[in-house]
Amino acid sequence: MPSPRHPLGDHSLPYTVHTELDSDDEVSLDTDTITDGDNITASPSSRGLHKSRPPTFNLNLRHTVDLRAITYNGTVDENLVCPICRCPFVDPVLTDCDHVFCRPCIDDALSESQLCPIDRLPLSSDAVSRAPKMIFNQLDALKAKCPCCGVVLARSMLESHLEKYCLEAVVRCPGAECVKLVKRKISGEDCLHYPMVCPDCKETHDEIDMEAHRENSCNERLKACEHCSAEILRCKEEQHEGECPDVVQPCKWAEYGCQDEAKRKDLPLHADECSYKAMGQMAETLKKEIRSLRSEVRTMNETHHLQERRIKFLEGGQRASDRPLDMMDLSLANLPESTGADALESGHEYLLSLLEAQQGRLSQLSAEVSDFQAKSTMMLFNETLPIKNELAELRSTQQVTCMHVRWLMRFRMQENQRRFGGGPGATSNGGSDGGSSSDLSMGRRLSDSLTRDIITKL
Amino acid sequence: MSFATKRLGKELAKVHGNLPPGIALVTAEGFQEWLLDIQVLDANPIYMGQTYRLKFKFSSSYPIEPPEVTFVAGPDRPIPMHPHIYSNGIICLDLLGTQGWSPVQNVESICMSLQSMLTGNTKNERPEGDEQFVASNRRRPRDIDFYYHDNTV
Ligand SMILES: [Zn+2]
Ligand SMILES: [Zn+2]
Ligand SMILES: [Zn+2]
Ligand SMILES: [Zn+2]
Ligand SMILES: [Zn+2]
Ligand SMILES: [Zn+2]
Ligand SMILES: [Zn+2]
Repeated sequence: MPSPRHPLGDHSLPYTVHTELDSDDEVSLDTDTITDGDNITASPSSRGLHKSRPPTFNLNLRHTVDLRAITYNGTVDENLVCPICRCPFVDPVLTDCDHVFCRPCIDDALSESQLCPIDRLPLSSDAVSRAPKMIFNQLDALKAKCPCCGVVLARSMLESHLEKYCLEAVVRCPGAECVKLVKRKISGEDCLHYPMVCPDCKETHDEIDMEAHRENSCNERLKACEHCSAEILRCKEEQHEGECPDVVQPCKWAEYGCQDEAKRKDLPLHADECSYKAMGQMAETLKKEIRSLRSEVRTMNETHHLQERRIKFLEGGQRASDRPLDMMDLSLANLPESTGADALESGHEYLLSLLEAQQGRLSQLSAEVSDFQAKSTMMLFNETLPIKNELAELRSTQQVTCMHVRWLMRFRMQENQRRFGGGPGATSNGGSDGGSSSDLSMGRRLSDSLTRDIITKL
Repeated sequence: MSFATKRLGKELAKVHGNLPPGIALVTAEGFQEWLLDIQVLDANPIYMGQTYRLKFKFSSSYPIEPPEVTFVAGPDRPIPMHPHIYSNGIICLDLLGTQGWSPVQNVESICMSLQSMLTGNTKNERPEGDEQFVASNRRRPRDIDFYYHDNTV
């Protein structure tokens, strides 16, 4: 019974929520805590309805994200993709033959056959060790979409994002005695899991679901508007009032004296012939004019102040240049006591202005430099990206080709063997069922070693 | 979502992008069974101008387990003549057996291997005991033990 009111998500959630509680809580499997239709595997939760929760109780839930089911942002470097599951590595391991796989992938593969999936050399599960830290770092930095809210962030941050920040993720209900889960964005201060009577149909529902009930499922949710008789939602009545075409409204020039009223849909008609129209429009224009004039005055005032200050500064500079020697003294010997207070002030101001100008120039330069830096980084990035992609493509093509060459080489080998040596292959022909497995492995090993001989000779 | 489904989803996205010449996707409904058409590109007189249809069946353990690959007959889609291909479409190729399979293989690489297997063939014949095999075999191809080392063609 998928209920539209419960916003916890669909059936293919790529993450799991763990709701384990403190050990002293009485633990029992309470299926009521989870609404049907949710694919959240919540583990045992408490029935401790009579215990009150300590105020610092953590409402967050641990989330485990299935890294193979999430959406990655952009194309992932081919070197970080597991050749078995074709996803960015999950818990990568390095084999003794220098190949990287996900741990679960290679474990599965080795349980089927004890060969390296890439080079077909014997490989035991002991010859597999944790991949270098660098690979982990690269994987951690991969950008992925949050399965709940869709925000893009580093893959390694997903779980903590879901646990602590994601507004669309589920948390424990803040109610002290409540064991239900709610989306973080609607988990306010209090538990909203208390029964309320729907004002429309008198049914009882939890407050948290009331809005959805009144909008979607309430039997009495619709009513006819008393003005326009259109079907409207009871809970949206006020909103409709604001836009109903049949509600009587005053003329838009009422402010300037029009006493007329009309239905909203008829107002434009009246507005066209309203006797206050000309005045109203004029008044509007005047208002606008006044507003623009005011702002003009304000800017004028500002410029005026600025100019005043500049004039003062220039006067100061004038006075300073009247006494060049003093200025020299000041700047060279840095002996302020030897000059008059007046000159001191203007000299200071002058130096300060110089300093300011230099500072301005400096910050401009540094802005330019960083701008240039960004540009060149972008350029470099743009140029290397296609090369990198091409390289990855070439590498995979080369691998496939390699495989084929090996495979064809084996054909050729055996053909030669048959033609010149009259080898073992010549006698048994066709694939009749029931070949013995020892023959099979002998034959394989034989052809493999021969191929390798040929390759080393080449 | 199972492991096989995720992996096949990735392969399908790639297959929709581009396939090597002579290989075309026919249907890939669900993640259990796909149909692909292959053609031999060089002028081998046995296969010239023909298109062959391949059926891939995936188990839930794909790619750890190999898919079941057979040729299927239809209008304009014969079963290619080859000393390792039975007239009911069953293919005797070590790559597709439990022994020769590697999980890094994929649908595309299997198709390319089959293409080159046909390209290199010069014998316009069926395997020995074809009629008997086709009449009596009720087993799945994966369970049949072929003499894979007998690749004398
Ligand atoms: Zn993997
Ligand atoms: Zn290896
Ligand atoms: Zn989120
Ligand atoms: Zn609650
Ligand atoms: Zn109701
Ligand atoms: Zn209305
Ligand atoms: Zn009016």
